[in-house]
Amino acid sequence: MPKRIKATPDGWKISDPATDREVTPDSWAGQGTLRLACDSEPEERFLSAQTIVIEFPAFTDGRALSLAVLLRKQFGYKGHLRATGATHEDIVHYIIRCGFDQIDVPPGRDPDLYLALLEPYTAHYQGSVHDPEPSFKRTLRGINA
Amino acid sequence: MYKYDDFDRTFVAERVAHYRAQTQRYLAGKLTEDEFLQLRLRNGLYIQRLAPMLRVAVPYGTLSSTQLRMLASIARDYDRGYGHLSTRQNMQFNWPEVAEVPDILEALASVDMHAIQTSGSCIRNVTTDEFAGAAADEEIDPRPYCELIRQWSTAHPEFDWLPRKFKIALSGAAEDRAAIAVHDIGLGVSKDPRGNAQFDFYVGGGLGRTPVIGSLIESGVAAKHLLTFLEAVLRVYNRYGRRDNKYKARIKILVRAMGAEAFRDKVLAEWEFLKDGPSTVNTKELDRLTAHFLQPEFASLNNATQILQTHRLANPTFSAWVSQNVIAHKHPDYAAVTLSTKVAGIPPGDVTDEQMDVVADWADRYSFGEIRISHEQNFILPHVPRDCLFDLWSAAGTAGLSTANSGQLTDMICCPGGDYCSLANAKSIPVAEDIQRRFDNENYLADLGDLDINISGCMNACGHHHVGHIGILGVDKKGKEYYQISVGGHSGHGRLNASLGRILGPSVARDEVTDVVSQIIEVYIEHRDEGESFLSVYRRIGIDPFKERVYAKTN
Repeated sequence: MPKRIKATPDGWKISDPATDREVTPDSWAGQGTLRLACDSEPEERFLSAQTIVIEFPAFTDGRALSLAVLLRKQFGYKGHLRATGATHEDIVHYIIRCGFDQIDVPPGRDPDLYLALLEPYTAHYQGSVHDPEPSFKRTLRGINA
Repeated sequence: MYKYDDFDRTFVAERVAHYRAQTQRYLAGKLTEDEFLQLRLRNGLYIQRLAPMLRVAVPYGTLSSTQLRMLASIARDYDRGYGHLSTRQNMQFNWPEVAEVPDILEALASVDMHAIQTSGSCIRNVTTDEFAGAAADEEIDPRPYCELIRQWSTAHPEFDWLPRKFKIALSGAAEDRAAIAVHDIGLGVSKDPRGNAQFDFYVGGGLGRTPVIGSLIESGVAAKHLLTFLEAVLRVYNRYGRRDNKYKARIKILVRAMGAEAFRDKVLAEWEFLKDGPSTVNTKELDRLTAHFLQPEFASLNNATQILQTHRLANPTFSAWVSQNVIAHKHPDYAAVTLSTKVAGIPPGDVTDEQMDVVADWADRYSFGEIRISHEQNFILPHVPRDCLFDLWSAAGTAGLSTANSGQLTDMICCPGGDYCSLANAKSIPVAEDIQRRFDNENYLADLGDLDINISGCMNACGHHHVGHIGILGVDKKGKEYYQISVGGHSGHGRLNASLGRILGPSVARDEVTDVVSQIIEVYIEHRDEGESFLSVYRRIGIDPFKERVYAKTN
């Protein structure tokens, strides 16, 4: 049974995927779980979703990352954002920094490894969805912005 | 030079640890070959024809003597005693063991170096003018902005999984020595009326299978907007660049498919949201970075020029080297020096560990501990007192680094080719060697003047054949190595606009290449006016006279 990792108030946890019904933009009525292809254009009408699921066709395909950033930053989407498809433990940290709070672990991959690689780096040069300031504006760099 | 702070050191150390764990998972069978490929590429490791190849990042071609000594030590301990200077100002090692690469990366980290994003579909090492901060014709030093881009592009959460590799080059001088017209993004840096840095964005240039000169999509972008504008361009590319065909995945194809105007509109629409946002660069950061690149404390040297003149008069060989390999410096008592790696019998850009060590010593003695690697695959000492040039030249002669051919026909750009690279259709190093052996008369070469011969072993164009005055491309013709010759390309140096070469005619066998080069040069000599360069003659007379000469026999 494939697993999912989720951000919870107590940190990231492994869970069994809930069986929510995913709807594509064509039949989207404004409520529930919306599934987007990674080349979708973000739209205002999606913002009422409880969860938006974006598919990674391959772990090397960065389109879902840009789409997630657009939804979070430009459109101000506040619901859950789930990465599904060909996710991989070594891109988990990118996925999280681009604003996803749920990641499906495909069959054959190890969810514990996903949890072990949530944050291989203590700090980053760039800002992220959660921490928009780049390193040069953060006091941890030893310089006050 | 930029000096790492704790932040940089921590990041690079964590990256080494991350990659070590990835290597261990791969060796334990927990990552497939294809999965590991993507991870190792982003840490500089290719698997080549004969062995792995590790490409070490030399950010914008700048090295300290300590760093170069470490590269020498890596060449000794992990390679076969040599390294290769690449056209993107990096250093490549050809024989590392996959399992040992994390140790090499750790050794690099100990001198504030890494191999992050030197390959793979991500933003590559940013390149610039090898004489940045030294050249007399420089309007603004691009290095602080190169470093800003290096940091911004390192493990960017959104842009590490692009459709294809992405190369950014900057130039801040009157003469473009960084070939900005043939990069995914070329940035022309200049001063605005108030003396602040501003950037012209040329997007969608490139070589490879589809050579294109970049389009100017925005000019005069202020330094504070540099990162947000880059983010806008990268986001448009990441979202809309083709991913179905790797040969059509570079940004140049997207710009061409959309049209430069429509592409620009899309970027500007994206920029609306990003402009003045968190990635806007504050003055404090620009000041911090600029402070890393302050000029060394140049002294006014009594009689430096006079001492140099005396040596030149006494030694014509030295004088020829000064004319060819030394360029004017911002400070009148100093000079920037090219130490040419182009000697017949040695693959262009190959340097031994001993050469690296002595160049590091000369850098300490003569150049404030600083070394550069040029796009033409040579070492540069950027700040040499003019009265020390003779001593440097004498020492360089002993080390095989004093060939007076900078910018000349024998100073060829050449990829590793079929001898090393699994992509190549044909060998390139033996072609370079044949040409170097034929054209070995220094006076003749000096008389020919600036003449760029660029050689690539395949369509990927790592040897930049499209922008060689004479370009040589290895092709496969029914399983045999043939070479397609082009004429009239130009990378943009010498204050002449960049251009792409035109193919002369049917490809020729390897043993014919040097004869064809000779014929092309004969045509140039017959048509030139006094002092006229090869490129100027070509631009005046066109391709036909060259074509007629080379293919006359078969007509």
